[in-house]
Amino acid sequence: MGAAPQLRAADRLGRFPGFLRANGFGIAGGDAVQALRAAERTGVLDQSVLRWSLKALLCRRGDEWRRFDELFDAWFLPANRWQRPERREAADGAQSDAHPGGSREGEKADDEDLRPRRAASREEVLSSADFSALAEREHALEIEALMRRLARQLKHIRLRREARARRGRRLDLPGTIRRSVASGGTPIHLLWRNQRSERPRLVLLIDVSRSMVLYSFFYLRLARALANELDDVHSFIFHTRVTAVSQALHDSDPWRAQERLHLIAQGWAGGTRIGESLAQFNREHAPRVVHGRTAVLILSDGYDTGEPQQLSDALAQLRRRARRLVWINPLSNRPGYAPTCQGMQAAMPHLDLLAPGGDLASLRSVLPNLIETLH
Amino acid sequence: MSSQRALDIAVLQRELARAGYIAEPSLAAALLLMRDLARPLLLEGDAGVGKTEVAKVLAEINRTRLIRLQCYEGLDAHAAMYEWNYQRQLLAIKLLEHDGQAGAKDLAQREQDIFSERYLLKRPLLEAISGERPPVLLIDEIDRADAAFEAYLLELLSDFQITIPELGTVRATSRPLVVITSNGTRELSDALRRRCLYQYIDYPDYEKELAIVRQKAPEAEAKLAQQIVAFVQGVRRMELQKKPGIAETLDWTAALLRMGISTIDINGAERIMDTLSALIKTRDDRVAFPREVVARLAAAS
Repeated sequence: MGAAPQLRAADRLGRFPGFLRANGFGIAGGDAVQALRAAERTGVLDQSVLRWSLKALLCRRGDEWRRFDELFDAWFLPANRWQRPERREAADGAQSDAHPGGSREGEKADDEDLRPRRAASREEVLSSADFSALAEREHALEIEALMRRLARQLKHIRLRREARARRGRRLDLPGTIRRSVASGGTPIHLLWRNQRSERPRLVLLIDVSRSMVLYSFFYLRLARALANELDDVHSFIFHTRVTAVSQALHDSDPWRAQERLHLIAQGWAGGTRIGESLAQFNREHAPRVVHGRTAVLILSDGYDTGEPQQLSDALAQLRRRARRLVWINPLSNRPGYAPTCQGMQAAMPHLDLLAPGGDLASLRSVLPNLIETLH
Repeated sequence: MSSQRALDIAVLQRELARAGYIAEPSLAAALLLMRDLARPLLLEGDAGVGKTEVAKVLAEINRTRLIRLQCYEGLDAHAAMYEWNYQRQLLAIKLLEHDGQAGAKDLAQREQDIFSERYLLKRPLLEAISGERPPVLLIDEIDRADAAFEAYLLELLSDFQITIPELGTVRATSRPLVVITSNGTRELSDALRRRCLYQYIDYPDYEKELAIVRQKAPEAEAKLAQQIVAFVQGVRRMELQKKPGIAETLDWTAALLRMGISTIDINGAERIMDTLSALIKTRDDRVAFPREVVARLAAAS
């Protein structure tokens, strides 16, 4: 006894952050070392103290907080209990290794120097892979991370723009002089000219009909990532009717958000009626959410079972209201695609842009430009 | 095995309870760490779970001041750190002009006078670092402020100094205990999260909420308090836009007492309906509460 088990315990503690990272925690290596040092000072022998300290030190957000206890148990509780989850993970990894791209979770926690390189090449693979080919859960998680990054890039464009616009608060000289009369000509109260700033806004209309099922899943994630990073994003889903989903997307709990969306989308059946949905959007939502600095993005494959004339009319009306009207079609970067289906034919004359959106790379080429044009 | 730390945690929990806050041991542990490491504490959770309360009670048990910075969209450095008192400065200039003996004092001296601390308006952040005793600095709802402000705040939290171009650098004479709250309406930057200790505050469970109700509303009888808490916990399990927080529970308790309702049961559903406005705050949610639902919840509590 004595030294040997003690050493093993310290070793175990030292590798805990790596275990958390493997389970999707965002903590970086250097921070983890610091955190462990702080936790050690509070005492490592008392299991609950260690748990509470590590929880405060290693968690960064709510979903990590909720998963922490389980992972802590898995890692620190006696061997026969913690080995099980680890093995299950390894088995998962072996299974999905059969799919292109392989699995990250299958790797051991030690070979960390290997990981970044693989991650980089994986990213390339993932961003050019058609969404419909990515059915694995772990792919979804990674795509989600990439989308968050895209959203963050977009935010930086916006922040840069705003900083430029904000520079130079302007003095309202006539007003100041008028006010200064009361104080004998000394401008004691300075008046400033109000800046009219209207933030650009994004409105997403996502087709969730059956033909879109492989894509809408990702588009909803995109909407969520955008809504988190940019503050003026309004999302709607349509099928045979339009429903606002911004609230559900804003749910602070990602799992609950997903569940809510699932429930919203589930209740519908029948074909896609894009024209009718857009007309409904124009009636019920557009006056409130679409203004002169709004870009409306329609994410749909254009397979419409309604009247083409209605679609055409609705788009024309929307076009008048919005600054930009963009149609993102997941199919249009397939070789040999031409917008020949009735829906797209009716839509084409009213669009500012028809852009491909079947994979992350094409979204990445459309969105930044769009945001730039809104300012 | 219980260590020294476990004892410390228990002591702090008791102190917090005496000051009127029922805390989980994990929160007490985080507060101790915050003191050890001098790092800010980031509190997240839905509105109404008592995040702001943590800062208040922390100030109380440390017998120190609470300085609060309420964030909002468009909050800028001037509103948060310092501003020059233009009016007084202009007045001083005017007075100097009238003084006649121009040149008696040299120009540089006079300019320095005008940009001295006398003409400086301290806003919460400057105030928090320039006191003698370290206060508790509460940065409330940081998710409402812009990302640019967040970056600015980060700088302050890492160096604990503020640079005022005309005056020089103001170093912290005391390091405040910083509590940051967020409702999660916007994703915070990783840099901020990295710098903070983290604590997610959930809605209280049955025992904790009961303890809170017993403490804050001692005039409610034990039986009623149990029923109230069971009812509210039931309401929280429903799909609502805005779930009732602890403040709502206490409001509702007060409303029930005021109406003279001493027990919650199926027969009183009608009267309970009348008090629901203290608990349910949006129209859509109200629609989800017809009589039958209230009766079912009342029967279950």
